[in-house]
Amino acid sequence: MNRRTLLGGLFAAASVPALAACSSGITSLDGSGTTSGGGSGSSKGGVTIGTANFTENQVLGYLYAAVLQQAGVKVKVRPNLGTREIVIPALKGGDIDLLPEYQGALLNYLAPKDNSSEPGTMQNALTLAMPSGLQVLPYGQAADSDCFVVTRATARKYGLTTLADLAKQNGKLVIGAAPEVKKRRVGAIGLKDVYGVEFKEFKSLDSDGPLVKGALKKGDVDVANLFTTDTDIAANDWVVLTDPKNLIPSQHIVPLIADRKADDTVRKALAKLGNVLTTEQLTQLNSQVDNDKKDPEDVANAYAKQHGLA
Amino acid sequence: MFELFKNLGKWLVSGSSWSGSDGIAHRLAEHLQYSLLATLIAAAIGLPLGLLIGHTGKGAFLAINLSSFGRALPTVGLVVLVFLAGGLSMLPVYVALVALAVPAIVTNTYAGMTAVDPDVKDAARGQGMRGHQILFQVELPLALPLIMTGLRLALIQVVATATIAAYVSFGGLGRYVFDGLAQRDLVQVLGGAVLVAVVAVALDLLLSTLQRLLFRHRAA
Repeated sequence: MNRRTLLGGLFAAASVPALAACSSGITSLDGSGTTSGGGSGSSKGGVTIGTANFTENQVLGYLYAAVLQQAGVKVKVRPNLGTREIVIPALKGGDIDLLPEYQGALLNYLAPKDNSSEPGTMQNALTLAMPSGLQVLPYGQAADSDCFVVTRATARKYGLTTLADLAKQNGKLVIGAAPEVKKRRVGAIGLKDVYGVEFKEFKSLDSDGPLVKGALKKGDVDVANLFTTDTDIAANDWVVLTDPKNLIPSQHIVPLIADRKADDTVRKALAKLGNVLTTEQLTQLNSQVDNDKKDPEDVANAYAKQHGLA
Repeated sequence: MFELFKNLGKWLVSGSSWSGSDGIAHRLAEHLQYSLLATLIAAAIGLPLGLLIGHTGKGAFLAINLSSFGRALPTVGLVVLVFLAGGLSMLPVYVALVALAVPAIVTNTYAGMTAVDPDVKDAARGQGMRGHQILFQVELPLALPLIMTGLRLALIQVVATATIAAYVSFGGLGRYVFDGLAQRDLVQVLGGAVLVAVVAVALDLLLSTLQRLLFRHRAA
């Protein structure tokens, strides 16, 4: 359960212990069209990392903090700031400098009409769509997509395996998701446009948190919008509906950073993390916070140490 | 800033934002329904309790402190707690709102009862009135202004807090606040907040006027 999503209660960012670096053996990913411009910025004055209001984004924020701290950059973490609709303006406004982002969701936010879904083309599209003063760094190998899940019993009852199957039950099913999903393409709008799905009701709950998962468990909603890196999906034997028409874009994790702070030190440190961290590992880290009730900062630091980033 | 208020004005007066299931008229009706029902339930609990401890003078310390506990509970926490135990329904919202409203009703009812002059009660007893007759024919009428004040306070608090229904997917004016925040639509957030404030103030004015009219003949 994501206790930390409750109305954005900010928890204090404690200091990050120093970590020692060590290079990883994993080859770098396709970085075509990743960033524009050179190292014009400087991280000398320190970097403020912001995170959105869900577990994984906080874990990622603290991972960024750990590797940057190791590279000699002074960091400050401001966790749990809110949704993308809040954190991106904060980044533009200079309240924060760096943000763990997701390719598809970010592209949809910046260029809602762009429907590319392959990681390389998305990275190019992102670079083009970037507002002045901001840039994306190369994406990492870990990815966390939105997904729509149903319980095993619901899947059996209605014969649901793909998102297209939902359209056969138009007007019958109730979907639970965060309030912003009602107006997002990867949400009610896209499901209607691409698959012709119409729900009986849209219940505004939370973003992959206790409300939406509790409602799915109790049968108060039939379909829930969760993230693929949520360990509760496997733990509850929930069924992730497949996406044959590629409505849901690739969601590799990309650092979104202000030009003013993007220097080579920051680039190298974040690229190293991106090459090491896998989707499975990230799922594990989320689980340690959600299920084992560990602190996201401790979890991130332990991972960095264990994987030679410290 | 000016732009924001201009858009807020537009939002508040445009016909399209008033109609439909997400329209202001419907949300307002939902909000009033939640608030009135929660206050009624709270009154059904708080009034008898306040009258009982006021009349007998027994258990006041315990009753008042226990009911005040409800005021100290974090409302959102209570909603999530009841939700996790009982599932998605209006129950968590009503539990939280009732817990918030009961203390104001109990304490004001009790205060009204204890403010009744003991000599008056003595006189009533001297005339041969029974306990229940004293309660309903002497104490209650005299305590009524303060009891009404308690109900009014409770209703205002509930109206201002009923926005949390939207946190667990239900309607009411909180819908604008929660959806607006999630979608970063500040006009919607502000509009929801302004409407809640207007409803609270309007109800307060209405009830206090009513109270004044009802007790006019009794003006000291």
